[in-house]
Amino acid sequence: MKKLLLIIPVSVLLLLAFTLQEKYSFTIPQGWPEPNTDFKKEPLSLEKVELGRALFYDPVLSRDSTISCASCHLVYTAFTHVDHDLSHGINDKIGTRNSPALMNLAWHKLFMWDGAVNHIDVQALAPISNPVEMDEKIEHVVEKLQRSKLYPRLFKKAFNDSLITGQHTLKAIAQFMLTLVSSESKYDSVMRKHSKFTAQEKKGYDLFKKNCSSCHTEPLFTNLQFESNGLPQDPTLKDPGRIKVTKNPVDSLKFKVPTLRNIEFSYPYMHDGRFKRLQDVLNHYTSGIKQSQTISKQLVNPIILSSNDKVDLVAFLLTLTDRKFLFNKNYAYPRNIFAKAAQD
Amino acid sequence: MNLLRTLIFLSLLNVIGFAQGKKLLFYPIFNDQMIPPGGGTTYWISKTDTVTIETLRFYISNVELLSKNKVIWKETNSYHLLDITKPMSFLVKLKTPPGITFTQLKFTLGIDSVTNVSGALGGDLDPTKGMYWTWQSGYVNFKLEGKSNLCKTRNNAFQFHLGGYQSPFKACREVILDVIDKEGAEIYFDIARLFWGLDLNKQNEIMSPCKEAVELSDKLVKGFRSTE
Ligand code: HEC
Ligand code: HEC
Repeated sequence: MKKLLLIIPVSVLLLLAFTLQEKYSFTIPQGWPEPNTDFKKEPLSLEKVELGRALFYDPVLSRDSTISCASCHLVYTAFTHVDHDLSHGINDKIGTRNSPALMNLAWHKLFMWDGAVNHIDVQALAPISNPVEMDEKIEHVVEKLQRSKLYPRLFKKAFNDSLITGQHTLKAIAQFMLTLVSSESKYDSVMRKHSKFTAQEKKGYDLFKKNCSSCHTEPLFTNLQFESNGLPQDPTLKDPGRIKVTKNPVDSLKFKVPTLRNIEFSYPYMHDGRFKRLQDVLNHYTSGIKQSQTISKQLVNPIILSSNDKVDLVAFLLTLTDRKFLFNKNYAYPRNIFAKAAQD
Repeated sequence: MNLLRTLIFLSLLNVIGFAQGKKLLFYPIFNDQMIPPGGGTTYWISKTDTVTIETLRFYISNVELLSKNKVIWKETNSYHLLDITKPMSFLVKLKTPPGITFTQLKFTLGIDSVTNVSGALGGDLDPTKGMYWTWQSGYVNFKLEGKSNLCKTRNNAFQFHLGGYQSPFKACREVILDVIDKEGAEIYFDIARLFWGLDLNKQNEIMSPCKEAVELSDKLVKGFRSTE
């Protein structure tokens, strides 16, 4: 009898677990602005995030099942591809841009270096279809997922529908990416008055506020605008930047300002990965700037930093490393999901 | 053969026409000729030059019915992808209440800007339908692909993917037509308009939002009419 008493509530709970979606609570870090994503309209659910994570790590999204999103966006390097200046895709084909670090995307409105993508949902379409990245078609991805053993079940859990659509596939990937929040660096803890900068870091922070934060604005360390920071155009790539999308001459050579969070790990730097070290970046800002019609006004006059200043500035930039983010197991390869599928 | 296919197309559409609600039946035409389902048919655009239509796909959205210049019914979630390889898609069934009569029909050729920035959508808007640009977000409003002797391209192919939702390249266009409500309306869409004054030799590929896409959309939208 006692057993029965237990079984009933347990099975009710189990039933509920299958029908109700577990809400994934997205917390806005203290002192941060409202995200661009409206989570009231479209709340995250644990099931969708988990499905999205599986898809993010699954090479089934590429034509020959060799490349996953994670091939170019590795968690330990803040979701960028280290050691490659330009991204490496299918059959080792080389792209035209450096893969950006992925974090705090819920605050972004436009994606890609030139803002060609207007919503996080549709972001994944670009790499999936790019012939030098995954070289696949979303139509075909959906067919492959539908045929698989694993996915109809995961889609059923996430969307209450085992019929897989492009919309649901994309939304799941987007939900996973929205959970990638980095807000636990030393810098953050100093701002919350839980720890203190060293004297050197403090000097670096002051230099940063004076010279850099108009574009790399706190707390996201990007103002999310398109700016030209005076990089001379690479003559082989001839990347025109934002003008490619808007066809407006004022946008020539402008690129989306990247975040500097986890910058220690997200080398190489810039849209074409031209710099390997932070030192190279600072040298660019002090002596490498090429003036142009569209250069941002903050950089018309050179930035002056002594070599000591540069050391201090780098010390500050290293306080933006967030180990909790880099080693967050919720972002890592979902071994449990794939292992279970292999057993079935 | 063409005529036969056309007849089958029409009868197909009429047979299933008994359900409730108003129906809009779109006829794709080239000058005065019906474009039959499936595509692959060839049309003269001058004494010496021809155009073969292989792909024809476009969105009709935001359908509204009007009477005396007032909107009397508006379709919600109003997006329809019409595709020459799917004849049934040319019959748009509206869930109108009984007892209304309309004298004007309003719709948009293409997808409006708000929808274009609303993320991944479903149904006819699902990105698997082949009407979404992947490397730069946005819907293709109108897609026409085929061949012409005038195109000095590989296989003499031309491709017009017209779209764009941001000014100055916003390409969706509103259409208002006077109609006679016979439990719905028939709308003719003359694709030949696109080729008026177009130098296919020079302009045979549009694959992204641009000035030319806007100009062609302006020309094309004049191809809608409600009488034969
Ligand atoms: C072959 C390498 C490669 C693969 C595979 C790849 N990406 Fe990327 N990713 C890049 C590059 C390069 C960029 C920058 C492209 C640009 O700006 O044009 C980028 C940009 C992005 C951005 C924009 C970030 C921002 O701040 O604007 C997101 C989000 C993203 N990728 C997610 C994904 C997802 C999801 C997948 C899997 C469906 C994926 N990527 C697969 C290389 C890759
Ligand atoms: C006028 C705006 C602006 C200012 C001021 C500015 N930056 Fe940047 N920064 C950018 C832009 C835009 C990029 C990306 C450029 C590109 O890749 O073409 C960038 C890229 C970077 C990168 C590479 C990030 C990555 O992930 O690739 C670093 C590091 C950086 N900036 C540091 C700094 C520092 C330090 C300062 C102050 C000394 C500074 N920036 C001042 C706009 C600015």
